[in-house]
Amino acid sequence: MPKISKKFATLLVIVICVFVIGGVKLFFQVFRLGPDDTIAARAKGNPEGAIRITEYVDFQCRNCARGARYLSRFMNDHPDQVYLELKFFSTSGRHSLLSARFAECAARQGKFWPFHDLLVQRQHRWKQFSDAHPAFEQMAKDVDLDLSRLEKCLEDKSIAKLILKEKTDAKSLGIKRTPTYFVNGKMVVGLKSLKQELQQYFGGSDH
Amino acid sequence: MGFALTLVGFQKLIEPYQNFLYAVQSYELFGPSLEQVIARVMPWCEVFLGVFLVLGLWLNWILRAYVVLFATFVIVVSQAMLRGLPIENCGCFGESLSFSLPTMLIADCLLLVVAVILLYRIHQTRVYSLDKYFLEK
Repeated sequence: MPKISKKFATLLVIVICVFVIGGVKLFFQVFRLGPDDTIAARAKGNPEGAIRITEYVDFQCRNCARGARYLSRFMNDHPDQVYLELKFFSTSGRHSLLSARFAECAARQGKFWPFHDLLVQRQHRWKQFSDAHPAFEQMAKDVDLDLSRLEKCLEDKSIAKLILKEKTDAKSLGIKRTPTYFVNGKMVVGLKSLKQELQQYFGGSDH
Repeated sequence: MGFALTLVGFQKLIEPYQNFLYAVQSYELFGPSLEQVIARVMPWCEVFLGVFLVLGLWLNWILRAYVVLFATFVIVVSQAMLRGLPIENCGCFGESLSFSLPTMLIADCLLLVVAVILLYRIHQTRVYSLDKYFLEK
């Protein structure tokens, strides 16, 4: 074994660690480009606005509801400058997939955002239920969804497939938890980071 | 201990750092700038401490750093529990493994005790280490 000094061995270990981790990170980053396609029915705001936000949510997650309320106020204050699109990242919460299916079916009737707002507003209630289906149906009635079309849509297996595909795509972007946002392509996780990121565009006002 | 720490740090490093930043933020203990620094630097510290511990290189210093690190973890987790912060996942293992705060506090305390014992019995700890190889050279 060639004689090497302890300091040289230390340096060697550090360099190897940096190269291995850097290499693996680079390898994964090649495949993480950012959100691609936009689903128009789940988008709102000005497409030409200065800020484009893609939001990955699970409707059952409390912080997602807080984030949604914050974004709603933020968009009201900056109506022409923000474009928001929403994507599903349903976790293992008992109502996560069902709430996303209802929301997607509402989107197919052009009423995604009113339904979304009710989901967020009443989250603290429906997330307690063992069966949230009646609560979602009530919300569907409240936003005047066509209930027969809704029933057919809920039975459509392609809806669940689409929701799971969005989650798979999100995972390939490095998303592991909700809420995660992409603000003009930059990933931010959680409401605190979102506020900090948006403050960079519009100064210190905290909504 | 070394392998575990290396894997934990590696896991955080290959993910977008924002995921770990979110975990750091949930402890509500640091300012925004410090949170950014911790989220970027801590995983590297974990990897280097872990690798050096496995190799047994600079054991005396590495174990001291290990004790400081785990004592810090114990304090941070304890204050979060005392304040009743709504943290479901400690964030210690990136996003792969999820542990509640009480579980993590017990694990951190145990690992802290083990590190103190290893440090206290440093001559025995060094038996199969690179430190010993360089001492004998």
